[in-house]
Amino acid sequence: MSARDTTLDVVQTALRLLPWPTEPGLRRVGDPGPESPVLITGNYDLTVRRLIRSLAGIDAWLVVAPSQGINVWCAAAGGLLTSNQVVTALKTCGIAEHVRHRRAILPQLAATGVIATEVSRRCGWKLRFGPVYADDIPRYLAANGRKDDSMRRVRFEARERIEMATAWAAPTSLVAAVVMWFVQVSWILSAIALVWLMSIGVFLVFDRLGRGRWPLVWAASAVAPVACVLIAGGSTAAVVAAVVCATLTLAVLTFDFAGSTPTEGGSHFESKDWAITLDTDRCVGVYSCWAVCPEACFERREDLRKVELLHDDRCIKCGACVVQCPQDALYFATDDGRRIEPETIRRYKLNLLGSRAVDTGGSGALGEPREALHK
Amino acid sequence: MSSIVLMRILESAPDRYDAGMRVLSLGAVPRAHRAVAAAAVWRPGVRVLEIGCGTGALTELLVDAGAELVAFDQNPEMIDRARKRLDGSANDRVTFQDSTAAEMDRYTQQSFDAVAAGLCFSEMSASERAYVLRQVYRVLKDGGRLVICDEVEPTSHWQKIVHLAVRIPAGLLTWVITGTTTRALVDPCGELRRAGFRICSEERSWLGTLAVIAAERAT
Repeated sequence: MSARDTTLDVVQTALRLLPWPTEPGLRRVGDPGPESPVLITGNYDLTVRRLIRSLAGIDAWLVVAPSQGINVWCAAAGGLLTSNQVVTALKTCGIAEHVRHRRAILPQLAATGVIATEVSRRCGWKLRFGPVYADDIPRYLAANGRKDDSMRRVRFEARERIEMATAWAAPTSLVAAVVMWFVQVSWILSAIALVWLMSIGVFLVFDRLGRGRWPLVWAASAVAPVACVLIAGGSTAAVVAAVVCATLTLAVLTFDFAGSTPTEGGSHFESKDWAITLDTDRCVGVYSCWAVCPEACFERREDLRKVELLHDDRCIKCGACVVQCPQDALYFATDDGRRIEPETIRRYKLNLLGSRAVDTGGSGALGEPREALHK
Repeated sequence: MSSIVLMRILESAPDRYDAGMRVLSLGAVPRAHRAVAAAAVWRPGVRVLEIGCGTGALTELLVDAGAELVAFDQNPEMIDRARKRLDGSANDRVTFQDSTAAEMDRYTQQSFDAVAAGLCFSEMSASERAYVLRQVYRVLKDGGRLVICDEVEPTSHWQKIVHLAVRIPAGLLTWVITGTTTRALVDPCGELRRAGFRICSEERSWLGTLAVIAAERAT
């Protein structure tokens, strides 16, 4: 890895909440030929560079689709990486002149936004959802496109947690430093340290505390400002510091980890009432939901030619299963009988239900009329 | 809280797009749209194809100028907004299509008098733009016009310095307000010439960052 790569990795990880676009188009990895595999990803620079690194020793074509410089999962969930961008990339990058086949592999996490059957109808390419992680692609290719369970699930280990903590702490500590510049210059380092400690602490433990986390955070938000005032001896600066501390803790308190972590599907806000629901009568055993679910919520029942929604407690409401199901057998519903239809989910791809719930009028009407949808 | 704020910013982007563009360009975008409509519709009844109609700001002007219009956009929400923007009678003279520019091969060759595009080439990648220009050439009749307005890199030195100074903050602001990232076109006239067009006119805003270019399909 070159020094430039390392520097870019660090900067882009710290500022990953910003878009980092790279030029979309066709890249050669190794020395690909007319039968080499075609991989598709978004134009988020960090991903593209990591992907190319993890393909060392493999000959492949890489089609970089325009996702506004946003990573695959966020772009797919937010409507920036959809069938449109994939069709555009495949048709305009020139790949058709280089390969004899028309098969392409997408990251599994693109399944929230890209409808495989639609892309095939619109431009003739057959899409498969590959592994979640680029690191698994060599193993996936060697196994002729068979995914084992570990390739299908999103992980949230220490490394990913620290990356996300960094993404929040870096810009926040910048803001904290600027504020402290005006309040008390000598506190800048302490403020930065506080932000980093809080971020890393929160991301390492938030989901392990379960329901117990709220009293703890409340206690911290009460104790921290008092401690600040006591240590600084009650000056104006101490009061300002107390306000900053309280604001920070409040931010943590109300932080919805959906979208920042792959383990929560909206702990509060409108999304919490909606649950993924399977209409077993409609299911005919295509298993597309099983293939794209990043939390392995579904089990295949080959004997019945149906799936079972066995682990819906793990569901993070990304909607990938709803979007892909050719039978429209999956939808979101509430306990009191409101539902959001698959067509609405396909149309309003936004962040774990946010605008989908809103755009049904919040009333649970059956969504938008079909004529207005993607044909 | 924080993620909800980001989410709200992103999902309300289409609502803010028009106002955002007006403010960010200091009023230059509406002026440029008027210039595009005037150049693309040189007489009532010309058949025009609009690429990336968005919320319909340019669409409305093209129809008002008397075009018989086919307008497409890849975002169906944007098309809904464009439809609402036009009043009933104007809607009859536009056919809206939910399509990407990469699917322009659906249109019959030499079937349009003019092609108009407002602020969408700068949202395309270089390879996409090359493809789209080939398609524009194909669907235009002999001597047909391509008229675009778009964000461009300035050419004079002082304009370059100003542009460089505001590019990063302006880019951030644009992303936050409108949810789009654009890259100013470096040599739009050169790209058009290489695609087989003859440049008829090029007008730039006073900062040199917005251009209206009218070109003719060379035969």
